Amino acid sequence: MTDSPLSRRALLRYGAYGAGAAALAGTAASWDRLTGADIPGRDDGSLVVATLGSAFSPDGVRTLVRGFRRLHPDIKVRINAVQAVDWPDFFAKILTQIAAGTAPDLVYVATEGVQLFARHLGVPLDRWVKRDAAELREYFADVHPSLVESMMYEGSLYQLPVEFNAADMYLNTRVLERSGADLPADDWTRDDFTALLRRMKKANDSHFTPYFWTNRLWGGVVPWLFTNGTNLLAESKAPGGGWLWDAFYPAAQREGRGGGFRWTTPQATDARVEEAYDYLAGLIQDGLCTRPEGGNGQNLIGVFSTGRVGVTPAGGFWAGGLHLAGMRDDAFDVTYFPRRRTQRHQFGAAGYALLRTSKKQDAAWEFIKYSARLDTLTELFSTNQTTPARRSMLTAARYRETGPAHWRVFYDTLDKFPDTGPIPAPPQVAEVTQVLLKHTGTALASPRSVRPALRRMQGDLEKAMERDV
Amino acid sequence: MTDIRIPAVRTRAAATPPAAAVRRPARERGARLLAALFLAPTVVGIVVFTVGPIIGSVVLSLFHWNVIDSPGFAGTANYREVFTDSTVLVSFRNTLVFMVFAVAAQLLIALSLALTLNGRMPTWLRSVFRSAFFFPLVLSAASISVVMKYLFNQDFGVVNWLLGLVGAAPVPWLTSEHGAMATVIIVYVWQQFGFSFLLFVGGLNNIPKEIHEAAALDGATGLRKHLAITLPLLSPTLLVASVVGIINALQVFEQPYVLTAGGPGDSTRTVVMVIYEKAFEQLRFGEASAVGVLLFVLITAVTALQFRLSRRFVHYQ
Repeated sequence: MTDSPLSRRALLRYGAYGAGAAALAGTAASWDRLTGADIPGRDDGSLVVATLGSAFSPDGVRTLVRGFRRLHPDIKVRINAVQAVDWPDFFAKILTQIAAGTAPDLVYVATEGVQLFARHLGVPLDRWVKRDAAELREYFADVHPSLVESMMYEGSLYQLPVEFNAADMYLNTRVLERSGADLPADDWTRDDFTALLRRMKKANDSHFTPYFWTNRLWGGVVPWLFTNGTNLLAESKAPGGGWLWDAFYPAAQREGRGGGFRWTTPQATDARVEEAYDYLAGLIQDGLCTRPEGGNGQNLIGVFSTGRVGVTPAGGFWAGGLHLAGMRDDAFDVTYFPRRRTQRHQFGAAGYALLRTSKKQDAAWEFIKYSARLDTLTELFSTNQTTPARRSMLTAARYRETGPAHWRVFYDTLDKFPDTGPIPAPPQVAEVTQVLLKHTGTALASPRSVRPALRRMQGDLEKAMERDV
Repeated sequence: MTDIRIPAVRTRAAATPPAAAVRRPARERGARLLAALFLAPTVVGIVVFTVGPIIGSVVLSLFHWNVIDSPGFAGTANYREVFTDSTVLVSFRNTLVFMVFAVAAQLLIALSLALTLNGRMPTWLRSVFRSAFFFPLVLSAASISVVMKYLFNQDFGVVNWLLGLVGAAPVPWLTSEHGAMATVIIVYVWQQFGFSFLLFVGGLNNIPKEIHEAAALDGATGLRKHLAITLPLLSPTLLVASVVGIINALQVFEQPYVLTAGGPGDSTRTVVMVIYEKAFEQLRFGEASAVGVLLFVLITAVTALQFRLSRRFVHYQ
């Protein structure tokens, strides 16, 4: 007989341990506890709508959901407000959700991500738009065609724009007064702009910076490229889109419209691009503006509202922001970007994209339509935290409390400059943005750095555009 | 005087009989079983949350995957890509530069302060200093970096404002290549040195007072005592502090990401930032995993080298 590997006593002891552990596990398993399934709306058949966390206030979200439920009591909606620093961060989180198998049905997508989502994830809205054409006629009549065109990709429409922001120029009126300057004329030039900055610098102390800007795709160096008649990537339009233009826009407005923008060949070494960079490098060298890395949106309101900055590019969203920061409605004003070769402006828009993975596409379309209604947008954008896509919402009453006096500029940037174009955002936008930011920082180190940095930018952009995301 | 023994080089025990030939008593086997039972949750945790992801990363590094489409086998293409990507190569250089300066500064500051506080000082004051030095470590690196970004802003920051009071010109803390790296190191060291400091305080407390007293009787002065007694006896703690410091520094992310976003140019872009950008911004998870695997190899190699060198420089009591 062989020895037992375990004594009887040890066996009994471990048996008791095992029984104890099993009892503990059983008790723990029977406890009433929260699980992922307890999250309101999860797995209950709700239509899941992902929004950038900071895009709407909690009140706005409640309004949105309640209003939709009143209209469609049979469709449950859950708003998933994803917290993110910016649009690329937001897209990254949405893609992670998709990879994890918890894809939303609808995603709030800005121009930066329109083509990325359209190419890989989105469902064209064409068939629903055609089906509900009668219902949508009023919407399209109220929305500038440039905004709609920016939501098209290769001939199809992927989103109904609900908001946009064009890069206009905000001016601190107290600083203007101190400098003995008036609000510039609508058709001011880049030389007028430089002269104003010099005047501001002269009239203020050493802690004052006349022009503050942020190194990013929207409102960074790109508007200066637009006004110099160029862009980072060669711009063209996809064919198609006639089905939409012919149905909803009069001949004058549909002229030159296509099936959405195409950004193809990089042209960072183009002489006009170099000239725009040289101009900014000169401003930095003369102490007339912040270095690109120095500026960021987080401290912008603070330095502008306290008079340490005179001019900065911003959109309609800033009216609400400055008001919340305690700035009086007459303490700031807005005008167009200064003219160089053109006075073409840059804008970014946003709306809801429907994902291919959604099993509730008809319900999702109803939400898209609902979100673009006049009454919905009026309630949602009550605090001027953005520029509504609907022209009829830009009224004196809307801006009476927040200002600015020249609020008409926000929509006139589209109406008076119909060639105002969207951010150059191809499907490879993340890498294009990174390349732009990185080399802009290097290029503006000194006027001598511009050309070599742009050469490197060109190389990196070519590499980025060769990739299929 | 207590004898300071230097550990002998380990030699293989030639006379140990083969394990199978030894019959272990039942009590010992039971103890081993019990030990295995207690260790099991930790082992399972390590396998699931550490070993698993490492293997997953190695596998993923052999595929092209953009989250949206199905992964496609890429062989070594991702590695070839990252080895020819100038941004990746620069990020490794930056990370190594960062590691050298940050760890050196962190250890030097922590050791100096620990030695200072180990001297004569009221207990309450010592407690105040210890808490103050450790405090930044419990704060979130991201939130600290946001605040520091304001403080070090060239045009509107408090630091340049203070410098201006004494007539100094504004310093481009975050907007020049060298300035940005130096500022990231300053912020990182300010937050991290508390950990090494705490280790050193513990290490110093473990050095028997008798050794210093005996040295004093033999006529050793303050500096001589530190060099001949304190540092050798503190060397195991120094090893731990440097190993942990280097591993952490090689994985730095939050501070450069928030303070400079890797700029100006690529001057403060670190390896972990590149992994994040490739994976979550550019949707190139295969390449990101390849960079991750290379970083893993680097950290393992540096740590192994440290332990190898420690045989010469670390003295155990």
